[in-house]
Amino acid sequence: MVDANARPAFGRAALRVFDLGLGQMLWSRRTVFMALIAGGPVLIAALLRALASLPTFDAGAGQIGGRAVSLDGPDIFGLMIWTFYLRFTVPVLGVFYGTALIADEVEDRTITYLFTRPVARGAVLAGKYLAYLACTAVVVLPSVTIVYFLVVPLLGGSIGRNFPALLVDLGLIGAGLAVYGAVFALVGAWFRRSLLTGLVFVFGWEPLVVVLPGYMKYLSVAYYLQGLAPHAMPQGDALSVIQALLTSVQTPLATWVNLAALALIWTVALAAAMRAVERREFVLGQ
Amino acid sequence: MSPPVIAAHGVSKWYGQVIGLNNVTVSIPPGISGLLGPNGAGKSTLLKLVSGQLKPSQGHVQVLGEPIWGNPKAYRRIGYCPDHDGFYERMTGRDWLTALLGLGGFDDDRAARAAARALDTVGLTDAADRKIGGYSKGMRQRIKLAQAIAHDPELLVLDEPLAGLDPLGRRRVIDVIRAWGREGRSVVVSSHVLHEIELMTSNILLLNNGRILAEGNVHQIRDLIDEHPHTVRITADDPRRLARRLLGYSHVIAMQLQDGAVIAQTNRPDVFYTELTALAAGDEVGAVREVTSPDDNLHAVFSYLVNQ
Repeated sequence: MVDANARPAFGRAALRVFDLGLGQMLWSRRTVFMALIAGGPVLIAALLRALASLPTFDAGAGQIGGRAVSLDGPDIFGLMIWTFYLRFTVPVLGVFYGTALIADEVEDRTITYLFTRPVARGAVLAGKYLAYLACTAVVVLPSVTIVYFLVVPLLGGSIGRNFPALLVDLGLIGAGLAVYGAVFALVGAWFRRSLLTGLVFVFGWEPLVVVLPGYMKYLSVAYYLQGLAPHAMPQGDALSVIQALLTSVQTPLATWVNLAALALIWTVALAAAMRAVERREFVLGQ
Repeated sequence: MSPPVIAAHGVSKWYGQVIGLNNVTVSIPPGISGLLGPNGAGKSTLLKLVSGQLKPSQGHVQVLGEPIWGNPKAYRRIGYCPDHDGFYERMTGRDWLTALLGLGGFDDDRAARAAARALDTVGLTDAADRKIGGYSKGMRQRIKLAQAIAHDPELLVLDEPLAGLDPLGRRRVIDVIRAWGREGRSVVVSSHVLHEIELMTSNILLLNNGRILAEGNVHQIRDLIDEHPHTVRITADDPRRLARRLLGYSHVIAMQLQDGAVIAQTNRPDVFYTELTALAAGDEVGAVREVTSPDDNLHAVFSYLVNQ
């Protein structure tokens, strides 16, 4: 007969769920699709690299709308990190995986087997969240690294000198994945139409509030990530306009404030998501 | 007198406007108990409440003396086999069981041993290292049962465990359940086929429209059931040959072939199932893949009971 008191501790249970969930997540159709999205910047970087090798290529200084601009490989890499990764790929990964942490198990009808084990439901969510972090890191970080090695050497950029910035970028993307994942895990646990809600947040709310004056921007993740971006944006009037459109209002916050804000969002969102999963019924077939 | 393994008091459960269970008060004693009712009667709802997956809208449920909702510690003492078909299709049966046992607090060695034992009990040792996605319906039913028994719980809660099994698989699962009961442990098993329940226990609960209609001994219900023909759908490799063979039985009162399956009506379901199992075990009619019973006959009996 069973030892009625034998049950794994929270952390151990989360790691067991991580083991169980990672394989399912890595080989899902969603991951294949997301890998294609993360491959887009690599394709663009490869095209840039091919263009740069043409004998007629002359860049590094040029004109947009009659105004002089200058940029080099690290500048292009910085733009790509912000536009392709931090403002698109990372939140999209967060939405599609974060809202599906429990929803996938419900849809596949496997949630029953997890929720009838002697572990806290919060540990199930935590394990799935860890699997999400591992899975998305596998999808995005190699893409960023490849883009770095393709783009940074363009127009005289130095791979060695810019390497610390790459590490910061990778850390920033990791932080973005962690915070967006936690926020959308909460959205997935709270809302019935969680994917739609998440997409509205990423493509409606965040782009809007970071350009609006006032305090609404503090209710976004992008604002704090933007404040941590290490790249000096390219110089020149025209590119400054583009930069202004992309990064909008320059953050006045110190680095530690941005980090603290992201840590707070992460903690509150993940704790609230676990609490919601603990309390909510998941009725299959409804 | 032993305390009940399950005690529900004034339990109701509704899903929005739909009532799943309506003010049910019941005490289920130790041993094997059958939960009988047509589809939509509330059997699965009751079993989900008992296994801690749902919270009662009203009333309270105690299992093995403890409240069950939000009490995962108590889940260690329960093995639950759901009626639905959902799996990690890319995992092997052995890996899946081992992983679930790990979630139950087993270390790797103990989990591997317990998984092997459970696979042997349900007759899946040979298929243990195949991916679940490649399992037949009967094998999937049996691996579900294996995950319910693998951690050696005090109470088994089985939701339609015989659905879709071939005759030999049915016999094996029934044997497992009966052996569990003989060892002094408790089982609550649901079905919409009285004959199935009857093979495992004589202690039944009749459920219809979210209410307990009757509880106690099976014999009175059995007599009523016999007044209504029992329909059985059998999927076989050679349905024509099987149909020809079944026509020779006096207790088979109607037969038709439909979509490669034989639909037979009998007024002696106990004899019918015994003879079908014997046929399936031999070579005479080829392989019998799946046996199911639509619940029309049970609906008729319930209508009769309700209108009495």
